[in-house]
Amino acid sequence: MGIEVKNLIKRFDEKTVIDNISFKVDSGEILAIVGFSGSGKSTVLKLICGLLEKDSGGIKTSGDIAMVFQYSALIDSLNVADNISFALRERKDLRKKYTDVQIRNIVREKLALVGLSGVENKFPSELSGGMQKRVSFARAIVTEPNIILYDEPTAGLDPVSSTLIENYIVSLKEETHAASIVVTHQMSTIMRTADKIIMLYNGKVVFTGTPQDLMRQDTPYTKQFVTASLEGPMKMLQG
Amino acid sequence: MREFTLKSTITYKVYRQMILQFEDFLTTIGDIVIYAKEVISLILKREINWKEVLEQCARFGISSLPITLSIVGMSSVIVAMQVAGEMVKQGAGNYVGMLVALLIVREDGIIMSGFAIISMIGSSIASEIATMRVTEQVDAIKVLKVNPIRYLFVPRVLSGVLMMPPVLVVASVVGIVGGGIASHLASGLSYRAYFESVWHGLFMKDMNVALLKAVVFGFTIALISCVCGYTAKGGARGVGEATTKAVVWAFVGIVLWDLLFSIIFFF
Repeated sequence: MGIEVKNLIKRFDEKTVIDNISFKVDSGEILAIVGFSGSGKSTVLKLICGLLEKDSGGIKTSGDIAMVFQYSALIDSLNVADNISFALRERKDLRKKYTDVQIRNIVREKLALVGLSGVENKFPSELSGGMQKRVSFARAIVTEPNIILYDEPTAGLDPVSSTLIENYIVSLKEETHAASIVVTHQMSTIMRTADKIIMLYNGKVVFTGTPQDLMRQDTPYTKQFVTASLEGPMKMLQG
Repeated sequence: MREFTLKSTITYKVYRQMILQFEDFLTTIGDIVIYAKEVISLILKREINWKEVLEQCARFGISSLPITLSIVGMSSVIVAMQVAGEMVKQGAGNYVGMLVALLIVREDGIIMSGFAIISMIGSSIASEIATMRVTEQVDAIKVLKVNPIRYLFVPRVLSGVLMMPPVLVVASVVGIVGGGIASHLASGLSYRAYFESVWHGLFMKDMNVALLKAVVFGFTIALISCVCGYTAKGGARGVGEATTKAVVWAFVGIVLWDLLFSIIFFF
């Protein structure tokens, strides 16, 4: 079992941002949570990894959870090696488990996995957005997590960097067999990475299916999303 | 015509703003107490990253030293220049050293050092942690299952506690020596008379209380700066607000402690 979410509800003040949603992600499977901005996608991830408290419902997870943040969230006072090894050096249950040599080797191995060998001593500010994202991948997988959450992993990247990141998401799934959730609204990311999809609108699940189901545009929601139309059941806040 | 509602009145907005400010005031006090408890508990459990403590000590002590010494040195020179001439004229030249030393050790040295450290180090701690907060770095630390209070607060608070006393000692020495030079230049008072007066005027109690104050001030400045940064909300504006809040609260905090120390030890 990877992640099981049942009847999840989250409110901010009086506004219900996650309204009774349920889904399941098995090990070695990638679920894409899609929807327009403000539909509650990132909130779901924050609830799963414990950054937010749920109001009701159940979240069952198995093992370690890692998260790749939208803007990488690398600690800017630490170099790449220290960022990647951060959990190994600072986490209570891990900090005495590895020697400095072992940590150096793990860092080298994880950097090689994301195609970034030799940048150990660089600081996040010296890296491009795509490279920062790959370092944050390496940091996420350093503890061999069973669950990996990706918050808009390709947002703001050029198409080639996006493809590279999407390939890493798929290869990490194959190597780690982790249950993964990718929050995105980019079609390329959905099509290349997802095994199944849920679409959120106003905190509710309005579509569940596979990427192929999405592309068939069988429902008004999928049709509006795929065609990026202003006409349809999902109303955007307009200025 | 615009519709009249209670919420659109200036009175409502003023009252609402006052209530929000008061709410924020109470929340901040609550946060300071809660995090102080957590930091002390972690220190007692020896949950300390000494490498990070050393880095923060260098920042707290060494980086702040030039500005602290300048401010304390100049303020003692100003005091000495203003009082030495008059006191020598009145035949009280033998008390100039004592006056300057007591002023520096009991009050001026520690308060001026505190203000210098708040401006330089407190504000930078608050803005650093606030930036980490609004750029999700703190969230990343939490997701990695690392205790952010241990990683961010403990080294900074500990460095405040460890570095404030030596900074005070150096600043006091510079202040007293500066006062001696200024007294000599302003009134011709001999260095021997000045330093004898210093020697006879200062007691161990003054120095012990000053060192205790330094420890408490160091703790207060670092803790308030960490708390204000950690509870920052929003983007760049939130970082600015957190930094201002840290400076204001730390100023008020150390002045309140100073008052309490004066009541307990010298009233």
